[in-house]
Amino acid sequence: MSAVTCELCPRGCTIPEGAAGDCRVRVNLGGKLRATTYGRPSAIHIDPMEKKPLYHFHPGSPVFSIATAGCNLHCLNCQNWQLSQRGGEEMEEIYRLDPPDLVRAAQGEGCRSIAYTYSDPIVFYEYVYDSSELAHREGLANVFITAAYINQKPLRRLCRVLDAANADLKAFDDGFYRRVNAATLQPVLDALVTLKEEGVWLEVTNLVIPTLNDDLALIRRMARWIRDALGADTPLHFSRFQPQYRLRNLPPTPGETLDRARREALDAGLRYVYVGNVLGHEGNSTYCPSDGTLLIRRVGFLIAENRLTADGRCPTCNQVIPGVWQ
Amino acid sequence: MASVRVMTRTLKHLHRRELGFLGLIGLTGLLIALQLASGLEGLGMPEGGWRTIDRAALERRIESGDLRDLEAEWFRPSIGGEGTGRGPGPGNRP
Repeated sequence: MSAVTCELCPRGCTIPEGAAGDCRVRVNLGGKLRATTYGRPSAIHIDPMEKKPLYHFHPGSPVFSIATAGCNLHCLNCQNWQLSQRGGEEMEEIYRLDPPDLVRAAQGEGCRSIAYTYSDPIVFYEYVYDSSELAHREGLANVFITAAYINQKPLRRLCRVLDAANADLKAFDDGFYRRVNAATLQPVLDALVTLKEEGVWLEVTNLVIPTLNDDLALIRRMARWIRDALGADTPLHFSRFQPQYRLRNLPPTPGETLDRARREALDAGLRYVYVGNVLGHEGNSTYCPSDGTLLIRRVGFLIAENRLTADGRCPTCNQVIPGVWQ
Repeated sequence: MASVRVMTRTLKHLHRRELGFLGLIGLTGLLIALQLASGLEGLGMPEGGWRTIDRAALERRIESGDLRDLEAEWFRPSIGGEGTGRGPGPGNRP
């Protein structure tokens, strides 16, 4: 029986018959690659949009969130490793939710969006694409929460059915990607540019891990790249690391580190820089870049106050705040 | 002076009797180090590979409907392979 080469992500796994790709869920059976988790999520939740995190996309709305087993990255700090680092056949919980059922379930729960999230949805690409196409026909939005380790052709095709994405930029350092995520940096940067070019609303998350990627010079370089390649209006979320999986030896990110990272990114010219995973932090809220007015006050994942005008402007200076607000 | 003589004698004794054993320990240490180094190298390598799976378990779960055997997109037969994959591109899925 013949081997196949997967061309979905930059790994380009060559998979012999009866084996899986590095992601564990794309399997060569009979000389053809099979998407074994199509329509078979192992995680289903209704989350606030802020949990993704997407702060400039339908704020405060519930989003129907799903994931299947498997992932094409192997992050030492993965917070969903019980899901992402297992194949479908290893999962105890598998739900049968083909695209029409998924869209109906989201509508039934009063959600206006579906999020493909938790593990990396790249590995259940076909399920995402078909569901998203159907969701669009039914007036729902699609959000893609990803590490963006995907090849250009499949990504460009997927962008046709995506409305928003939050992409992890794990560090502006190829060595970090190799050591901590078993991946490489350049394809991720290319994917972020493509998401932007294709008109998908894009926010970027950087998880700040003490001693591994918290160097301010590195953060400055990353912020400048985002400003130049994606635009100064691209929201950037600095997220607090919590020790887990294979990085339990490191402490949680100190608040001062996150403050310094945020200041660095603002100084680099980014207009919307957030701090996540720190309850009550001022960097969790949205401010007008022109006059500093507090526009959206968040407490955790909750919207405590939203002062944006209906068409997404600052109520005091009329500055347009980029995002998808309606 | 006596203790130095004892030590020298012991070393000579070791040299004669245990050199092979010490060599074996050294070689084992070297092999362990090489093995660890190759493992660490693999950890940092992003290039694609493949994983063995419990095929019987997978097929059981496909048969029961827990999983699917739907043809994926974005693949091609490996060079020199005999496969007929269409990839890259959209598949003939329902």
